[in-house]
Amino acid sequence: MSNDQSSQPDTLTSAERATLDASVAAPVILFFGTAIFWLLFGSVFELISAIKLVWPCFLDGCGIFTYGRTSVVSINALAYGWATPAAIGIGLWLTARLCRVQLARYKSLVAAGIIWNIGTFVGVAGILIGDNTSISHLNFPGYSTHILLLAFLIIAAWAIVTFNQRKAGPLYVSQWFLVAGLFSFPWLFATASQLLVWKPVQASAQPAIAAWFAGGFFNLWLAPMGLAAAFYLIPKTIGRAVNSHHLSLLAFWSLLLFGAWSGTSRLIGGPLPAWMASVGVAAGVMMIIPAIAVAINLHFTLDGHYGPMSWSPALRFTITGVSMLVFTWTFTAINSIPLVNSVTNFSDITRGLNLLGYYGSFSMIAFGAIYYILPRLTGKEWPSSCLISWHFWLATTGVLLGVSVLVLGGLIQGYALQDIGVTFRSSMEFVFPFRFLAALAAVLIVGANLAFALVFAGLHWSLRRPGTAPAFIAVREENSQEPVAV
Amino acid sequence: MNKLTLLFTGILLTFGSAWVGLVAYPVANLGHMQPLPNEETGGVNPPTVSGLAIAGQKVYAANGCMECHTQQVRPDPFSTDIAKQLGKRQTVPRDEIREHTPFLGEYRIGQDLSNYGARQTDVAATHRHLYAPKSVTPWSNMPSYSYLYEYRKIVGQPSAHAVQGLTGSRAPKPGYEIVPTQQAEALVAYLLSLNQNYPLPESPEPTAK
Repeated sequence: MSNDQSSQPDTLTSAERATLDASVAAPVILFFGTAIFWLLFGSVFELISAIKLVWPCFLDGCGIFTYGRTSVVSINALAYGWATPAAIGIGLWLTARLCRVQLARYKSLVAAGIIWNIGTFVGVAGILIGDNTSISHLNFPGYSTHILLLAFLIIAAWAIVTFNQRKAGPLYVSQWFLVAGLFSFPWLFATASQLLVWKPVQASAQPAIAAWFAGGFFNLWLAPMGLAAAFYLIPKTIGRAVNSHHLSLLAFWSLLLFGAWSGTSRLIGGPLPAWMASVGVAAGVMMIIPAIAVAINLHFTLDGHYGPMSWSPALRFTITGVSMLVFTWTFTAINSIPLVNSVTNFSDITRGLNLLGYYGSFSMIAFGAIYYILPRLTGKEWPSSCLISWHFWLATTGVLLGVSVLVLGGLIQGYALQDIGVTFRSSMEFVFPFRFLAALAAVLIVGANLAFALVFAGLHWSLRRPGTAPAFIAVREENSQEPVAV
Repeated sequence: MNKLTLLFTGILLTFGSAWVGLVAYPVANLGHMQPLPNEETGGVNPPTVSGLAIAGQKVYAANGCMECHTQQVRPDPFSTDIAKQLGKRQTVPRDEIREHTPFLGEYRIGQDLSNYGARQTDVAATHRHLYAPKSVTPWSNMPSYSYLYEYRKIVGQPSAHAVQGLTGSRAPKPGYEIVPTQQAEALVAYLLSLNQNYPLPESPEPTAK
């Protein structure tokens, strides 16, 4: 184990922690609460879309509910309504804790949260009434993205001020990821909005920019924020320092470099200069490096201390999420090989990888973080361990089922699309049973999100019976560095 | 790595390198493409399209057609698109210059549409397909775009634009007609304008094996 001080999350007393937590409570609860609403909203639309793929006559002939709009609404509501605010909430709390600075002017952050949600609402409504831009992960019409960018700039300004006021000391791993994420997102979002939506450049130049944005949105924004949470929560919950400083460095820099360049691997053979696709392929294959570095580092941190997973919801969700992140990048690496890509491209495998990345890894880590953070902000315990358990198992089963059937069905569909002797009709018929199972997985995921929303509502409106024990999933066995109750 | 400045410089370099390569480079080098003169017809390649077809791009985007249909023909050996007759040659950046947004697509839940206009030239058939896909292709899983059409009672003369030739359960009752809205007309014009069967020097047709 490294003795480097930067492997330790922090050395605060519980009183200091409570003061820091209290100072960020209002904006963080606002971001998490609204995020959970959009999570439920987005997954219901995902379910509607999954059903429509199997039975096109479901809600047919109605403009608002046509497949092309419901699927886009679900992706964007989850990306901008759920994932981004959840990442911001985690980022605010971690910044205050790791910089050891009490949050001043929290009202500007509350305002940013409200503005952000107005932007998301306007964007979703815009898609439904027919202003979809048809740019992957940036489907919100231009008039709503201005609002979103304004809200984020308020948050970024606050983060810069807080980082400047931080108490001296080495920067912890989570802080690297926080700085990277909070810096990348506005750059990605402003560039793509300006060049693709607000004042679009000629369409011949757009494919590379759109691929760069869609890849960066996950690899440079959501993944770093998720890892920031994981590198803080895991050591904290089990009371051990991060295993290797050097592996952390490797994971961080390889993610930044290859993550930034890997987006164009989705355009192999597409209308852009061949070198751009080749660079995307090279960087995409190299994503195996951050995958392995994160996996080894966190495994040796946890080695012999996996026990708390049985009782701590935060740890269980976070570790599941990190494992799925490792799988996401491994699959990305395999999928970037041109020989593989010639089969998998345009098939349901892309849907499977999106599900694994956005729900299986980022959302699971965010669930873990929210389970850890909210009791400390509100001074209340989670109301029901039973619901948390349902949430975990429904989400895990939903993701595993969804990803496996989409990958298997996608492989068959991909081979059918590629084979000169097979008609297009056959490719549809082969994949049909897998799409049916994928719709079933979408039901499980809606159930998981519903359980999560209920448990959040129970905490927020204090529905826990007084005097009962904290909501651990099982009997607690080991001591963590920090009591779970405040 | 304990200094914020060091961290910040590193992020700037890694992130900035990709920004220069994948954003600034295409804007500078691909963002000002011109059509090439076509000596045979005296026109240009890619050909100029009608204003109605340009308006149809917005309808195509609004209804998320891109969620199921790609618009890119990839070359060998990355695909068998050309052998499957999705197009005669690979799609290149110059093919996109009439578009507001390039609808390359990520999924082939439906067929590729890069050359829809080369396969289909009949306006009425395209309207029938959009209004009632299953009446044209019974195994289709395409949703109906009937909300882009007006189902109305014929008053006086029947409309000259009414969709003709619908059969089966989706055919209008006697005395009624189905009239495309402006959006449906624009979408059909756009779909029929999709045709990459013109020569471009940077994308030669592969010779037969």
